[in-house]
Amino acid sequence: MSIAAPMRAGARDLAHVAGAFGLGVVLLSAFLAIAGFHVAPALSALWNGAFGSWDNFTSAALVRATPLVILGLAFTLGSKAGTLNIGMEGQFAAGAIGTTWAGLHLGGVPPVLAVAVALAGGLIAGAAWVALPVILRMKLGVSEVITTLLLNFVGVAAVSYAVTGPLQEPSRIYPQSALIAPAARLPHLAAGSRLHLGFIFAIIIAGLLSLLLKQTAWGFRIRSVGAGPRAALIIGRMPVATIAATALLWSGALAGFGGAVEVTGVSYALYQNLSPGYGFTAIAVALLGRLQPTFVLVAGVLFGALEAGAAAMQRDAGIPAVAVQVVEAVVIITVLLTARRRA
Amino acid sequence: MITRSWVFLALCLCACGKQPDAAPSTAFKVALITPGSVTDAAWNAGAYQGLQQVKDSLGAAVSHIEAHTPAEQEEALRSYARQGYTVVFGHGYEFQQPAERVSQDYPKTIFVITSGKRVSGNVVPLVFRIHEATYLAGMLAGALTHSGKIGFVGGMELPPIKLGYDGWVRGARAVRPDVETRITYLNTFDDAAAGKEAALAMIRLGVDQLHHNADAAALGVFSAAKESANVLVYGANGDQSALAPDRVVASAVVDLPRAFLLVTRDVKHGTFTPHTESFGLQSGVIRLAVNPALQARWPAGLKERVQAASDSIAAGTLKVAAQAVP
Repeated sequence: MSIAAPMRAGARDLAHVAGAFGLGVVLLSAFLAIAGFHVAPALSALWNGAFGSWDNFTSAALVRATPLVILGLAFTLGSKAGTLNIGMEGQFAAGAIGTTWAGLHLGGVPPVLAVAVALAGGLIAGAAWVALPVILRMKLGVSEVITTLLLNFVGVAAVSYAVTGPLQEPSRIYPQSALIAPAARLPHLAAGSRLHLGFIFAIIIAGLLSLLLKQTAWGFRIRSVGAGPRAALIIGRMPVATIAATALLWSGALAGFGGAVEVTGVSYALYQNLSPGYGFTAIAVALLGRLQPTFVLVAGVLFGALEAGAAAMQRDAGIPAVAVQVVEAVVIITVLLTARRRA
Repeated sequence: MITRSWVFLALCLCACGKQPDAAPSTAFKVALITPGSVTDAAWNAGAYQGLQQVKDSLGAAVSHIEAHTPAEQEEALRSYARQGYTVVFGHGYEFQQPAERVSQDYPKTIFVITSGKRVSGNVVPLVFRIHEATYLAGMLAGALTHSGKIGFVGGMELPPIKLGYDGWVRGARAVRPDVETRITYLNTFDDAAAGKEAALAMIRLGVDQLHHNADAAALGVFSAAKESANVLVYGANGDQSALAPDRVVASAVVDLPRAFLLVTRDVKHGTFTPHTESFGLQSGVIRLAVNPALQARWPAGLKERVQAASDSIAAGTLKVAAQAVP
């Protein structure tokens, strides 16, 4: 088979996504017009907030995209092995707690080491958070859909407990942690920009995951298990349960890493409202990216751009927050509907 | 496939690289960032009214955005500063730390943090001594309760909310020393169902006077009171009599529009210097708004007693907080 066929398929996918966004914009214009807002300034703010300047794109769109990409990749990894990790919100929270705890104890440690330890804290916490669903799935056959979903609520409650208990800032007044050690913070990619090293991590993870899934025996096993567990078991003689469990474990670890990156790159402290639902939006990102790591990266950037643009619509065009949320929903649903039709 | 998406991403990056930033304008521009919805009839709604008054009275160009997470909040602070806004209101203590970081890059913008912690460069706090008004509300509750049990529904355990509760309890005890008090924190400012649930639980325990500081979640408290016989409510942050005209005795009001106007006027006239702006009953920004419809129920002499307490607090002779507040 020639290489040209998949290339054409890729181009067609991109065209579909672009078309879906286009349709979303048309529906959105109609909605804004019906609701009595000026359409042109709103759309112009939407575009400028995301792509209007280098700073808008890097400081707003890409910063918002970073957790969406990492969590989208986490979902992708789990899905490839036939598991549905819908507990990324909880794993993200656990990762944020782990990283904050580590980051608070890293004063005086050299920066590179401090960042590595802080990020590892999030990775491990994320894996630990998904460990229970993994064990329940392996030993008792309990669906991870239920267990990971329910652990989301526990994760959010754990953050509330942490910031009013063991990790509360020293004056014990505010429900937040102290700032993590400066050495444990991710550097910004340019002076004056909010874009941090975490986005580079997201790109590297996308590349690595793509390579792993396509070029390695481990990736082949994961894809086999996801595509046909019975065939993988009977014909391929693969330890199906173990392979799926490993993928789910890494998916949780990756989601925890997403929390780690948000704390070390953006917030520098643990807060109750750290995530606006990244763990759920990222599922849409992964599906829009058709569970292909490089597409997930692009989809995550588009979603980040959409959110940045939506914020700008509110800020610069005076569209109320409620309308902005409708706009986001319209675009997401349109994109997913068209993605569904061609799937 | 891989190549295409990388090329696409690279194109995105290049496309945006070309356009320069818009030059900051020199007009008088004021922005407001709220941590929640401005339809809460209380904390955020008051701030939004304040912004509109700044526009109307001072002719400022204004802008508002809701920012719920720390990431969004810092992004909003930075965007406004970069666009050359003169004054940016961060409506809550959570804006203090991000504003201090952003302020280092944009020293010309004045960041006003409501319920902020400290002055740092051009980051200045607005402190509202709401407990001075909740003390007066507590006095009314102490006088009007039949069961001897009063309750408070708080959004989160934050300093201004704890202080408000503190004042409420002290006020009630000043009138009825044996009063029993209850408190619930919802850990949300948005969930009206949770607010209603908490209020109904208290009512079942015999509480007949309810106060709150939970913004939009408190709409559930009013709804619970309306459904239960003989339960009276006390509003917070705004005059909330209209939410339940035959149940609201009074509201502990923070006149946010007035506070916002005072600060922005100073900035506009060039008389502003960074300092902690603290408002109490004395300033008129904090006050008790009484619902006249229910005043007939007040026992004789109560009105005079509350007025006397109000005067003593304003004069500084009656302390209503456990610790000193700036």
